[in-house]
Amino acid sequence: MSVNEQPSGGTGPIAPGSPLARVLDGYGAPDLPAGFADRVLAAAEARRPESLAPLPELRRPARTRRWRIGQRIAIGVASFGALATAAAATGLLEQLAIPVPSAKTVWASLTGSAPAAAAPEPVVAAAGPAPAPTPAPVTIEGPIDTPEELQETFRRVDQVRAGRREERRTIIDQRIKSEIERRRAAGLPVPTPEEEARLRAKIEQAVTAREQRADAAAAARRETLQRKVENGEALTREDVTGRKPVSPEARERFRGLRDLPPGERAKAWRDLTPEERRLIAEELRARRAARLPGQPAPAPAPVPPQDTPPPSE
Amino acid sequence: MNTATEPAPAILSAPPPGDDAAWAARLAARDAAALREMIARHGAALHRVAYRMTGDAHEAEDIVQEAMLRLWDHAPAIAAKHPVGSQAAARLMLGGWLQRVATNLAIDRLRRARRLSGGEVPEEEDGAPLADEVIEAGERDNLARALVLALPERQRAAIVLTYYEELPNAEAAEAMDMNIKAFESLLHRARTALRQALTAQGDAP
Repeated sequence: MSVNEQPSGGTGPIAPGSPLARVLDGYGAPDLPAGFADRVLAAAEARRPESLAPLPELRRPARTRRWRIGQRIAIGVASFGALATAAAATGLLEQLAIPVPSAKTVWASLTGSAPAAAAPEPVVAAAGPAPAPTPAPVTIEGPIDTPEELQETFRRVDQVRAGRREERRTIIDQRIKSEIERRRAAGLPVPTPEEEARLRAKIEQAVTAREQRADAAAAARRETLQRKVENGEALTREDVTGRKPVSPEARERFRGLRDLPPGERAKAWRDLTPEERRLIAEELRARRAARLPGQPAPAPAPVPPQDTPPPSE
Repeated sequence: MNTATEPAPAILSAPPPGDDAAWAARLAARDAAALREMIARHGAALHRVAYRMTGDAHEAEDIVQEAMLRLWDHAPAIAAKHPVGSQAAARLMLGGWLQRVATNLAIDRLRRARRLSGGEVPEEEDGAPLADEVIEAGERDNLARALVLALPERQRAAIVLTYYEELPNAEAAEAMDMNIKAFESLLHRARTALRQALTAQGDAP
């Protein structure tokens, strides 16, 4: 039932006989005048098709719903592609840790014909120039039993650590350059400046993360040392560095072996007596265990118990 | 509702199925007798609607003449869309088509006149005593005419089509190019405005 057919009411149809209906019925309409049809016919005869104004052009071309949807999808895909391309070109995806393979890498993976060797590996194994001389290590004279001495120790340790970090970065930079030069000389593909920048950023990110972990571990270890000093305990060099000092004799042996070429190093190692080889091996294992957190020290060479790596890490 | 002096609205009587398609074909063939027959069939109803919409007999004649001439002009296209004997031909209602054209012409002329005069005719109902203003202007023949002409043009068309021409809501909505819900809402507002105007005259509906 529509509104017009609803029963009479305040807002319903106008009921016949109601006051409003009686009033409205007074609005009569005159008849068409005589001769009206003749006038219309004469006007119709006078209208010629060529005199009619043409219909206006549609404001928009008529398109089906399917095409409208397709058009929107195409615009959306194109917009997304443009944004993704812009993000990849500006390096935004690299900052978000989203790997962006190069076109060469993708093509190599599709065809399986060529190795994806666009991005060179970090040149860890590359033979680089001799590293810069390491700053002198921190020396501690006598026991450390005051906060001032401990703070001075920390300051000197931080100084050495900062020098080592700078040295590491210099070595990395030299190795990258030498590897690129080696590949260029060998006729191998070398990374583009953009790829080299990405590689350096990735390495820097890893180095920074490692330094942050070492800083956190050192901070925790320093808190322990400060509490010990505040409690009146005297700290030794081993307490600060976390490892026993290498004897001068052993240091000389290590240095002698390290400076030998690989072939002669193996021969010199074989020339040592079994006792000497055992002592060197134990010392190397103890040093390695002291540097790696969370690994128990080997039994033959006990290392002072520690929860965190030494500050030199 | 028709006055006693008017004939029953022949436009509302349903023609035989396919009959209007045959008339459209004759109009498309430029048969002047067919146009005369259309005027005889629908002219009076169109004139009533146009007159009650505009309140001007000459304006109403112009509207009816324009509607008939548009039928004459568009007859070839209408006949092509509704070939005799087809299902589309059974749905063709030349009376409804003319009614829609005449109603739109009337609304267009009212809006054009309002723009030229700079007057404001509210589309929405307001609480002002509408009849008071128009009656005091002294330009209306009687209270009913004043009440109807005081309505906004679309509300006026809804009242003219449903009350005076007794069209069902669906046909009136089609004549005004509206869906049925929107038309019923419009008609509701028109009736409310009429009742409020009459109440403002001191005579309860």
